[in-house]
Amino acid sequence: MIMREFALYIFHLAFFPGFIFLVASGMFFHWIDRKLLARFEGRVGPPWYQPLADIIKLFAKEDILPIGTNQLFALLLPLTSFASTLSAGFHILGTLTGTVSSFNGDFIMLIFLISLPSLLFFLGGWTTSGVYSILGGNRSLLQYFSYEVLFIMAISGTAIASGSWSLAGIFNAQSGSMPYITLQIAGFILSIAGLIGKLKRSPYDIPKAKSEMVMGPLTEYSGGKLALWKLADFLQTLSGIALIVYCYFGGLWLPHTAIGYVIFILLMLTIQFILSIISAVFTRLRIDQLIDLNWRILIPLSLIHNLLIMIL
Amino acid sequence: MSRVTIPIGPQHPLLKEPVSFNITLEGENVIDSTLRLGYVHRGIEKLAESRSYVKNITLFERVCGICSHIHTTTYCQAVEGLLGLEIPRRGSYIRMLLCELERIHSHLLWLGVLAKNIGLNTVFMYAWRDREIVLDLMEEISGGRVSHAINTIGGVRKDLSSTQAKKILADLPVLAARVRELLDIVNNDRSFKARTQGIGYLSTQDVYRYCVVGPVARASGVGVDLRRDAPYAHYHEFDINVITMQEGDVWARAIVRILETIESIDLSRQIVEKLPAGDVTVRANRKVPEGEFVSRSEAPRGEVIYFVKSDGTQTPKRVKVRTPTLTALITLPMQLEGLQMADVSAVIAGVDLCIACADR
Repeated sequence: MIMREFALYIFHLAFFPGFIFLVASGMFFHWIDRKLLARFEGRVGPPWYQPLADIIKLFAKEDILPIGTNQLFALLLPLTSFASTLSAGFHILGTLTGTVSSFNGDFIMLIFLISLPSLLFFLGGWTTSGVYSILGGNRSLLQYFSYEVLFIMAISGTAIASGSWSLAGIFNAQSGSMPYITLQIAGFILSIAGLIGKLKRSPYDIPKAKSEMVMGPLTEYSGGKLALWKLADFLQTLSGIALIVYCYFGGLWLPHTAIGYVIFILLMLTIQFILSIISAVFTRLRIDQLIDLNWRILIPLSLIHNLLIMIL
Repeated sequence: MSRVTIPIGPQHPLLKEPVSFNITLEGENVIDSTLRLGYVHRGIEKLAESRSYVKNITLFERVCGICSHIHTTTYCQAVEGLLGLEIPRRGSYIRMLLCELERIHSHLLWLGVLAKNIGLNTVFMYAWRDREIVLDLMEEISGGRVSHAINTIGGVRKDLSSTQAKKILADLPVLAARVRELLDIVNNDRSFKARTQGIGYLSTQDVYRYCVVGPVARASGVGVDLRRDAPYAHYHEFDINVITMQEGDVWARAIVRILETIESIDLSRQIVEKLPAGDVTVRANRKVPEGEFVSRSEAPRGEVIYFVKSDGTQTPKRVKVRTPTLTALITLPMQLEGLQMADVSAVIAGVDLCIACADR
């Protein structure tokens, strides 16, 4: 009996909804993103196995770092990012499938886990001592607070409204009445903006602006370490989107049912679609424009939004 | 705050050709910038002195990968001037047609590069997709997409058939509609304007001081265009509308170039419609009489000057090329000063550098 439970435990961790499933769906969403972007730009786009092929190729490549880099640190940073986003994804999807039980305060843990790679991204730039890496790292730190505050403020609106800091609590509060997307549409838009910053997608892709910073903090990374950064990026996108779906579209599906999973995936794809279309239509912002936009307009808006929620 | 020097080039995602900038930053602000040229120097001018006049056409076609036709045109004009040749009207018209098509292709390419550098990949892809139309037309006419090998001393090597003319007339309106769409984006997209307006400013005085030519000068309010001011080939038979803007920033350069593209499309249509009958080439003597000749023409980036000196043999004594990029290059450190690092890419793209032309 214990053996069986243990085997099931391993299965959940390793396959569903654990490691393999998460990485595969992260790649799938990355492919969807690339394909959509390509179609918006009038290109054909890559085949479905492209992200997998990229990762395999990167792992097969030689791993070089500049002299003077702390080798251990350079390995730990992408590994930690990958692990943190993996845990975040596991927790969200686990709550969805009923593998993991949601506990009070896991909402805050998720926000922390999803934003950890952004901070490590900056450190990653500082560890590898390249001029583009350091400058890109500076930029990502400069940008960090403006979108992080925005994201936390905006998405906290749902927790405040539901009166619970657990994922299940936020979900249950919505299934009783209406999903928060109806009442907190402003919060939804603001948290999408925050998520774009977190994922460093266009128009917030300042730290890794190709025409200025080459690849930003990741310029000097190669081989397996770069692959780990990429995987962390895929999973950050996946778990960020999943968190938003959970917080704003709860109650649109019944938990633990097949139709519920389908609705969940469709909602996630919709958000991916929104992210892709935003990437396609906006130019990259300049750093002062970004700080201006976030601190002058978006963050005050999210403050007002939260105040209104608290009053109502 | 500590200063950092960022090397941009010789190889960098922002550049399409090898040139090197060293940009000193204080935080995000550009304090100083230096420039280094010469990574694609091929000694073409010296090489030209050991080849015959006809062989040199092939050589000068290789000066630039974008505006190859204008270089051979200017060179052939110079040699024809020395020979005292009058090329047939039809040949001259075909030359002009390719010049205009090349201008369209060059400007669309440039718009794509600018959009890419400010992070708007969609416009980059659209501009390059639309550029395919004109590349296909050029391939149809000459057999080459970029290097046409159509010019020869005394005219052009290939005639334009009536089916080709029909295809050009059918495709140009499609292209014009697409370019108007791009103009609409550049004119109205707020994020595009936010990244291009007010940067890379060049005043009218600076344009005169540094002898800047082409679209960069026209965007600063200096309406120089050799097609109107000193017509070569048969441009005097057409009404050239020179587009100028007063803003002098990267955005104005974008608008000037797109409007010029639309003008060029219209001009190409007129050229094909008015195409006279007759020969396309006349026989030219292989030996060129002694003398000197200066030939000028309006390349996509501005005025190209070829100075050819002959000593009466089959090979030129000296060929001196002066390309428009050099004048724009020397204004770059001035344009970059005080800007943010993020604007550097837009400004460098904005002047439309052709390093291969400048280095030769």
